[in-house]
Amino acid sequence: MAKVAATTADRRTVGSSLAGRIFNVTGIYGIAILFLALGALLEATGVIHRFLTPENMLNIVNAATMVGIVAMGMAFVTYSGNFADMSVPTTMGFTGYICIALLKFGFLPALLGAVVAALLIGLLNGFVVGKLKANPIIWTLAVNYMTMGIIRLVWVNKQIYPDMQQGVGAGTVALFDDIYRYRLFGTIGLPIVILAVMVALGQFVLTKTSFGARLKLIGSSLRAAKFTGVHVERLVAAAFVLSAFAAAVAGLAVTSLTRVGAWYNGTGYDFMAVTVVVIGGVTLAGGRGSILGVLGGALIIGILNNITTLLGIGTFSQNMIRGAIFIVVVGINAKSLRSLGRDDA
Amino acid sequence: MERVSKRFPGTIAVDEVSFEVYAGEVHALVGENGAGKSTLMKMLAGSFDDYTGAIRINGREVKLHTPTMAKKYGIGMIYQELSLARPISIAENLLAGRLPRKGPFLDKGAIKKQARALLKRVGLDLDTDLPIEDISQHEAQLVEIAKVLGNNPCILVMDEPTSALSHEEVERLFEIIKTLKNRGISIVYISHHLPEVFRIADRVTVMRDGKKITTKPIAEITREEIVQMMVGRSVKEFYKRDERAIGGPRLVVEGLSRFGFFHDVSFEARRGEILGICGLSGAGRTELARVLVGLDRADEGRMELDGRELKGSSMADFLGQGVAYLTEDRKTEGLALRLPVDDNILAPIVDRLTAGLFYSKRRGEATVKRLIGELSIYPPDPSRPVGNLSGGNQQKVLLAKWLASEPKLLILDEPTRGVDIGAKMTIHSSIEKLAREGVAVILISSDLPELVGLSDRVMIMRKGHFTREMSFAECTEESLLLAANGEGVA
Repeated sequence: MAKVAATTADRRTVGSSLAGRIFNVTGIYGIAILFLALGALLEATGVIHRFLTPENMLNIVNAATMVGIVAMGMAFVTYSGNFADMSVPTTMGFTGYICIALLKFGFLPALLGAVVAALLIGLLNGFVVGKLKANPIIWTLAVNYMTMGIIRLVWVNKQIYPDMQQGVGAGTVALFDDIYRYRLFGTIGLPIVILAVMVALGQFVLTKTSFGARLKLIGSSLRAAKFTGVHVERLVAAAFVLSAFAAAVAGLAVTSLTRVGAWYNGTGYDFMAVTVVVIGGVTLAGGRGSILGVLGGALIIGILNNITTLLGIGTFSQNMIRGAIFIVVVGINAKSLRSLGRDDA
Repeated sequence: MERVSKRFPGTIAVDEVSFEVYAGEVHALVGENGAGKSTLMKMLAGSFDDYTGAIRINGREVKLHTPTMAKKYGIGMIYQELSLARPISIAENLLAGRLPRKGPFLDKGAIKKQARALLKRVGLDLDTDLPIEDISQHEAQLVEIAKVLGNNPCILVMDEPTSALSHEEVERLFEIIKTLKNRGISIVYISHHLPEVFRIADRVTVMRDGKKITTKPIAEITREEIVQMMVGRSVKEFYKRDERAIGGPRLVVEGLSRFGFFHDVSFEARRGEILGICGLSGAGRTELARVLVGLDRADEGRMELDGRELKGSSMADFLGQGVAYLTEDRKTEGLALRLPVDDNILAPIVDRLTAGLFYSKRRGEATVKRLIGELSIYPPDPSRPVGNLSGGNQQKVLLAKWLASEPKLLILDEPTRGVDIGAKMTIHSSIEKLAREGVAVILISSDLPELVGLSDRVMIMRKGHFTREMSFAECTEESLLLAANGEGVA
């Protein structure tokens, strides 16, 4: 009478809906193709023009590249369960200033100096969040403003230009300009090559090294990792250093593109990168997702930005749309994980 | 309660149990960990909305699907863990949710008066403005009771109410229970502690493996009978010991102290030996374990493993020297619940699965498979998130994780807390097998039958000191309990 009936229905079986099934087969790239189809549809109905052209596709890739690079590093922070590195914008700006200021010592020393400066910021973040257990969002946000303050203090609120620095040869300036503009085989931009290398390396590190395996444990349960003898502090610090490194690369590329060292060079990249990371399937809860997914997330944001620009939607409205998408993705993610019985959140 | 059942994924926690309590009766509910006592009472408290069967109060069938409904029908719960908010005052805790008001403002005078009246019912005379964190543990326990009494319950459930109390305080609690009983309140008294049950209860119900075994007036049953019914077989039978060869010393500890937690602790654990450590909570057992495994630093003393000094600056260093520690807190410290079984099991041996730069989970596949088989982890699916497994199987995964690390010294902290009897037996035989292979095992447990049944020797720890050592022959549940309480012949 009071026997509990056996049941074959299981909420945890995946992909009961059509959308769910498509997503499970094609993953993030299926969604990217859906967005492309949406753009093509808008073009076919005459709402936007010149969407499916080679030049425009290149535009999309270029737009996705910068935020993609930042997201490659940010993904490690999110994966480690520390949500996001909000110090990315001024780390990018700072790197540009340092590089331009050091150009007089030669191109390579300048690059090196800029990257080292960024890594120091990453190390500071890693120490304070990893060792001292500060709230990652609040702390990195504070570092963001602190770095901005340093930039404004040192350069007295001035922007600096590579070709107006004393003692910098034209050759060096040309090299600096080439960071963004160099074309491999005359077609593929250097940032795209860098992104490809970072994706390959990132995917390798996350899935095929002991660092990746341990970061997964840390992201899934910090305490369990600690009680397994994992050097939690060091590895969390390493995640922040990787994020700072990626921000440095993106910062150099942006500064090369704009040919000016300015504090606002990285503005907006923090939230854009988190959106890319989260859309790409690296959940805010940590320990889940992949670098290939993040690349897909970058493409989706690239396509979305492109379509909204072609539609003539202003920057502010674009931000709003991105914010809305972020909320929807995080919501869907949390809900589906919970109903799959995979999340205790 | 009639034929009530509650299922959890993978197990039936309570299986068609019928249970009745008379007015003005103290009804003891006894059973081992995982017998289903707490689940049964949580049903009564309205914690589940998916139980089957019927619950009647005063003859009327009631649906208890939320805690509020349970409260409305006059059911009061006093849990082991206190439900008081520590930084706020006694009065505010007592009257939480129904603070008297004067217009829009709180009526301070009435609050004080009502709070004092409630405290008086449990024989406490305290300043009601004191915050909970400023009063002692046992006073807090009494405040908790007063708080529940404030809702005028007709049925009061107490879950191990004496676990944090001293002897005198227990006496006081029993006085209170008697008064309540005389007022016609029914009391369900859950306890491990049989002497208490015999002193206070009118009737007793024994549970085992989610089923009710019997209900009898206390006068018609003996202690031995209850133990037998709880365990299902006598303890000595339950733990069939086979001879193990105990070898030379593996771990030697000399004068180890961590100030404020334990002092001047010296002992040795030998190859193939299961060394039990017995003590009340707060005696310093877990703190000692944390030092032995490198989670905390010792202030004084030295440790030696196989003749070499055991030292390092992190748990990883100790792990590398062959020490493993199974934490008492499986859900937050032991396992990453969201990760699959294999990731959890392989977590301590990531380095061993790494060749050059390359980490490969596949290299550990055989180990995972072997351990799942050895411990009969169910379901035997390495890719299932651990959080979806039953408590007993989670605990097996936790043990498997440390077996995978192939330790020389394994420290187990409450290795079978809250698991069903089947998992417990599997875990016990696995521990014995490990000892036969020459591993030194340190077993920290509050489960006395477990300590008595498994240990070759038991060290008694009390207030941060090792007070006594007992051989297997001297060990009984009673002698251990008395020693841990600082009583009995020293």
